[in-house]
Amino acid sequence: MDKVKIGIPRGIHYYYSGIFWKYFFKKCNIDVIYSSKTTHEILEIGKSLAPDEMCLSMKVYLGHISSLEGKCDYILIPRIDRFDNYNQTCTNFLAIYDLANHYFKTPLLNYNIDNKNHLLDGLIEIGEVLHLSKMKVIEAYEYACLKEREWRKSKNEEQKRILNGKDKKVLIVSHAYNIHDDFIGGSISSMLEQNKIKVVYSNYFLPEETSKMSEKLSKSLYWKYSKESIGAIPLCEKVNGIIFLSTFPCGLDSLVHELMIRKMEKPYLNLVIDDLSSMTGIETRIESFVDLIEQG
Amino acid sequence: MRDCYLGIDIGSISTKAAIIDADYRILSSCYIETNGNPIEAVKKAIKMVSIPENYVLRGIGTTGSARKLIGLLLNANIVKNEITAHAIGTLTFHPEVKTILEIGGQDSKVILIRNGMISDYAMNTLCAAGTGAFLSSQAKRLGIDVKEFGNIALESDNPVNIAARCTVFAESDLVHKAQVGYPKKDIVAGLCKSVVLNYLNNVCKGKRIEGPIIFQGGVSKNKGVVKYFEEELKQKILVDENGHLMGAIGVAILSSKAENKEYYDLNIENISFKTIGNECKGCTNRCELLRIYRNEELLDTWGSKCGKY
Amino acid sequence: MGSYGVPIYYLLTHILKNDIVKPREISSYTLELGSKYSPDFVCTPFKYTLGTMLESLEEGADFLIQLGGGCRYGYYHELQEQILKDLGYQFTMVNLISGGNRISIKKLLKEYPLEIRKKNLVRYLLITKKMVIYMDKIDAYIRKNRCYEKEIGAFNKLRDEMLTEFSNCKSYMHLRRVYRKYLKKMKNIPRRDVNKKIKVGIIGELYTLMEPKANEEIEQLLNERGIELKRYTNVTYLLFQKRKSVKKYLKNFFIKYRMGADALDNIHHTKELCEKGYDGIIHMKSSFCTPEIGAMPIIESVAQEYNVPVLFFSMDTHTSETGFLTRIEAFCDMLEMRKS
Repeated sequence: MDKVKIGIPRGIHYYYSGIFWKYFFKKCNIDVIYSSKTTHEILEIGKSLAPDEMCLSMKVYLGHISSLEGKCDYILIPRIDRFDNYNQTCTNFLAIYDLANHYFKTPLLNYNIDNKNHLLDGLIEIGEVLHLSKMKVIEAYEYACLKEREWRKSKNEEQKRILNGKDKKVLIVSHAYNIHDDFIGGSISSMLEQNKIKVVYSNYFLPEETSKMSEKLSKSLYWKYSKESIGAIPLCEKVNGIIFLSTFPCGLDSLVHELMIRKMEKPYLNLVIDDLSSMTGIETRIESFVDLIEQG
Repeated sequence: MRDCYLGIDIGSISTKAAIIDADYRILSSCYIETNGNPIEAVKKAIKMVSIPENYVLRGIGTTGSARKLIGLLLNANIVKNEITAHAIGTLTFHPEVKTILEIGGQDSKVILIRNGMISDYAMNTLCAAGTGAFLSSQAKRLGIDVKEFGNIALESDNPVNIAARCTVFAESDLVHKAQVGYPKKDIVAGLCKSVVLNYLNNVCKGKRIEGPIIFQGGVSKNKGVVKYFEEELKQKILVDENGHLMGAIGVAILSSKAENKEYYDLNIENISFKTIGNECKGCTNRCELLRIYRNEELLDTWGSKCGKY
Repeated sequence: MGSYGVPIYYLLTHILKNDIVKPREISSYTLELGSKYSPDFVCTPFKYTLGTMLESLEEGADFLIQLGGGCRYGYYHELQEQILKDLGYQFTMVNLISGGNRISIKKLLKEYPLEIRKKNLVRYLLITKKMVIYMDKIDAYIRKNRCYEKEIGAFNKLRDEMLTEFSNCKSYMHLRRVYRKYLKKMKNIPRRDVNKKIKVGIIGELYTLMEPKANEEIEQLLNERGIELKRYTNVTYLLFQKRKSVKKYLKNFFIKYRMGADALDNIHHTKELCEKGYDGIIHMKSSFCTPEIGAMPIIESVAQEYNVPVLFFSMDTHTSETGFLTRIEAFCDMLEMRKS
């Protein structure tokens, strides 16, 4: 029998769990392929599939899933509802598994996280599908957790170094899947770096720290990933400016970013990215924001 | 004397009128700009069409966004929305068609026909992006006559990508692409292509597009758009030379089928029509009231939500 | 929200000693106010509730209650509070459900300036609950029958009278008597003869469905066109039946997980409506309602399997009325033609 191959779409969950998955499947000795980086074509496919009002990031994600069709035996799409009632996710995260099941033919590999189901339970179920022993799964899980931890720590330290440096710096507050997708946030950080401005990312701090810090800015916030992104703000007293980045029409950011902006004392820029093929307007806004920071 | 019927389709951009006989043959027709004044446009249109000798006008139908106003003024025997009117008109001439694509001045729609009946339809939800009004404003921006748009687009083999989901985004993108130095023909072709993609992604999402397909509305005169529709849908697209009249013809047909037929006189030039709009302060609803007068006689008041008028 | 103001006002005036400001009915002015101070792409209910809060503060309210709940709704209050405070209003605000957890009554009384009438508290709670259930029953009946009334407005007139009597009810028995009286009266309203009935199901996002001002009074409109309606979503369903139904849906249905808010319910209801022989389905939601966006593709394909047309509406504060009417009219024409 041929070796099983698992496809991982490079969008949404990839930016939270990518490192974990990498080491988990490596330890399990299972082959993994990734979709390519976001391209214009991937976006177009996503746009043609998704309902018009769905947010850009989800459209991109659907494009990635589609590009894996026929290239692997399973596509990994977790369904993450909440870790607890105060750490929920966007409702798109709840629906995406069933939606993908509706659109695509390749079997989906799936685990579910909510009040009752923990990550490990889901992985054990996946292990059953892939004929892996429970012991093996637990071992790989622990290994991957460790590796992920190391990676997070190194990123965190790197950030702290930048914060303590002398250069002008900007914090980008956004969901990980927006910041690090070259097509969405990637061009923004490179625009800043061209102007000799260092960039700090909200998702490279330790989640437990940012999550706690977010209470300083919003007491009743109950979305895990929003908490982690705005929680970076109190940790970044030293930055010269903040960019709020969201994709149109993100439900969470529409409220959270608005509230943050009302509390900001530093220079900030609120960027909402709609259609990726149009970067002109964004360029202009970043340039004037850079001018503002340089003066200050 | 034989019977004939008048159908008028008053859209946001253009006004179309057609007179047909009982066998649905077109006896006379015209196509003019609405110019934001439906009443004047209709007066002009009625002057342009003529009832041939030996015919009497037995019905008037109105459709399009100003259908109610004009229907009231002309005392039409039927007032119908443009989706139904278009489908009826098209099916009369092309009974084999299974899908009608239509891009007009401000609306775009798709109508699915199965077994000779409308089985489903959808209209644009978001904004006027990708419609006729959008194309004319972009043509103006590029300094091109909108009628030439299609021919210029056909010259290009290399359409530029233009983000056309939203008018504002599209405009800034367009200006940028022009500044960077893309050839005009590629930009024009890119616009045409973006109209098609936007339409298929927005209006047709989830609908089963089956052939034969007919393409109508003002934008169907644009050969560039037709070409990209054919490319995307991978089949021949039918365009009727009377495609722009289908709404008017459709409502004329409906008028011929209606029961309350009368004898009409088309001499309305000397009748004065007047509409007065004001905001009612009677309650917090603050309805925008519109009063409609014919020769100083109040015909109706519209817009009241509480039923006071 | 819709007529639910009647039981809520009834409850608050009976259990609290505080003065209650009855919010004005939602008008275009409410919306104008709400939209002016709302972020760009927030869903529409945010704008309506913010507008209502502004109006109530103008009337002298100094304590606001926001219900809160799933999806984005649970987070409305914090931003709304900030927006209103930034505008210079002085008030306290409480959110009843946050992060899926209800605030405890004890905490509510301790931390906020509420004075409760302990006497008969439970009784009034029960009466209110029953009032809501009766209202929903009557409304479901009206949706099915108003389209056949001979004299236009007969049902609405009785309904208004009933609501007035409801708000003056003193006891449970009294309430039931009123309900039965009006149900009987409605059954006796003379009907037109119709040879072919057209039935449409309305599904979608709850606020847009239940607030007639947010859905351009679509039910009235369709009923006037002679179309019989069914709508699952009402307070009775959401509060007392939903939990059980969802469990059932998950067990024998092709969707594996809950999809947030009422998305799963709507998919299931689509299937049910198709199977019960409804002629068409109208799906309504406010713009940018995320849970429903995820459900729409599935709703569409489920209905396609049964060859039932679905009309989707995304309602915003600047939905054009003419455009809306054109779409509705065409939908009705289509259903009539399909039927003939």
